Amino acid sequence: MAGTKRTWDGQPLRDEATNTTIPTRTSTQNQPTMATPTTEAQEQQLANPIISMFETFRDELDEHHDRRERLIKTSRDITALSKKIIFSLQRPSQPQPHTTPPNHKNPHRIRTLNAPLPANITKETTTRFTQINTLFTSLLPDLLAPPNTWRYQRQLSSGIQEFIEALSFHHYLTTQTLITLPEVQAHLPAPILVTEEDYLLGLFDLTGEMMRFAVTALSAGNADTTGTSAEEEGGAVGLGEEQRGIVVDLRVMRSGFEGLSVPRRHVMFKDMGKKVDVMQGSVEKVERAAYGILVRGRERPKGWRPDLVVAGGGGGEEGY
Amino acid sequence: MIDHHIFEDLQAKIDDEAAVRDELHDIVQTLARKGRSTQAILSRAHSTPTDQLKPILNDATKEIIAQRDEVSRLKTVADKHPFYKYNGLWTRELQNLVSSIELCAWLGGLEEYKASSSASFLTIEEVGTFLGVPVNLKEQDAFHLTIEEYLLALISMVEELARLAVNSVTLGDYTRPVQIGNFIKDLFAGFQLLNLKNDILRKRSDGIKYSVKKVEDVVYDLSLRNLIPKGSAAA
Repeated sequence: MAGTKRTWDGQPLRDEATNTTIPTRTSTQNQPTMATPTTEAQEQQLANPIISMFETFRDELDEHHDRRERLIKTSRDITALSKKIIFSLQRPSQPQPHTTPPNHKNPHRIRTLNAPLPANITKETTTRFTQINTLFTSLLPDLLAPPNTWRYQRQLSSGIQEFIEALSFHHYLTTQTLITLPEVQAHLPAPILVTEEDYLLGLFDLTGEMMRFAVTALSAGNADTTGTSAEEEGGAVGLGEEQRGIVVDLRVMRSGFEGLSVPRRHVMFKDMGKKVDVMQGSVEKVERAAYGILVRGRERPKGWRPDLVVAGGGGGEEGY
Repeated sequence: MIDHHIFEDLQAKIDDEAAVRDELHDIVQTLARKGRSTQAILSRAHSTPTDQLKPILNDATKEIIAQRDEVSRLKTVADKHPFYKYNGLWTRELQNLVSSIELCAWLGGLEEYKASSSASFLTIEEVGTFLGVPVNLKEQDAFHLTIEEYLLALISMVEELARLAVNSVTLGDYTRPVQIGNFIKDLFAGFQLLNLKNDILRKRSDGIKYSVKKVEDVVYDLSLRNLIPKGSAAA
């Protein structure tokens, strides 16, 4: 009885059956001469407005669904590209002694904050950001009508959040500051909405990326600090400037997030709890990693990495 | 070097939005309370013979008009904000109201808003005119009644009518189930024209066939026993 089989033009097949059976049944049961003309006229009066009304609705709803699906698809593509940007920012790139040695002491990784990225990574992320921008621009025709920006906000939200995560991570690595909401908006065509929700949830995810980056940086930077600065400081193992920076920044962000009070009726309310838990976990992992290096760092053999990430359920990420 | 102002700005925005939500929520609460009393009045139709419906319809119309005042209050506030940002707050109550309007109209009330006295329901445009709100606005970001809301309201009305078909028989009215059957079969045919996606509209409209079946069973029982009055069978 699901009854949605249709002909090529979307007419339900059952519809014809029901429509024709009503008049024929009455005409066979009652007197065919008298009853048929009047009932058929009445049927027509009754049924036609309803059918034509529903035909209009169908066209409207089809238009809405088509647009909705287009937007979801583009949003997914944006998510995928943003993830690729994040991966390449996290990834230790291939050693390239011929191209980059003057820039970096440690040229095969981004392990410096507040500095330009290695050329090969810049190239990759720039291409991706351009691709994302093209995708956002392709959304514009569908968002042209004024109610649409909000009507389809939920469909675009996940893509925008992932984009904010990538953009803010890139921004943090190059400037060691948090990107602001107006700055995010400036990276997008104007009709694309950047809601406070998307921005905030994007920043929550940023803490996860900062954690991953910091833990890798702490273990990689460990060799550096014991080798140079630590010995100058009279033997104490210290954290590098950047590493300490990330720990401090994460703490400030944590206190910022924790200071927000979101009322129960707010849309963000249901997403917040889980995000706060994950964020707190990330901050703690970095704090413990820093602690581990400070206290036990000297006793570890070279190349040792904090195992906290594995213990804390950091997943496959610890390999980076 | 994290700028703490970022979080202060966010908090300010969150507070602003919460204030808007609270304001709208208060109006919707009033609308809901009045909606419940409308529905309570209309449900008396299940135990009232057709010829005694008039006072019930008058009472229901009074309540519906009181709800209409709330809708215009809601419209004034909602028009200051993007429509789809807060639409979720009132959509449920607006649907209930439209469904009450449609039921009241089907029972013979709200005559002056129908296209003709024989019409059994109000079109979306007629509902819009009655409520004083635009419908299906596509180019303008303002308060309106959406197609989805209207369709969902029709589905609630169909469910209520299916129940009424059974109760009409209990009251000794054997004509009304036939009228109900014809009407909801027309609507069912209409709903079958829609290409529904996996959303609330599909879930709810899947229920119409059960309503149709319920009424068809009643009509079958009546016709089997020759209880349907001769003249009205086709009407």
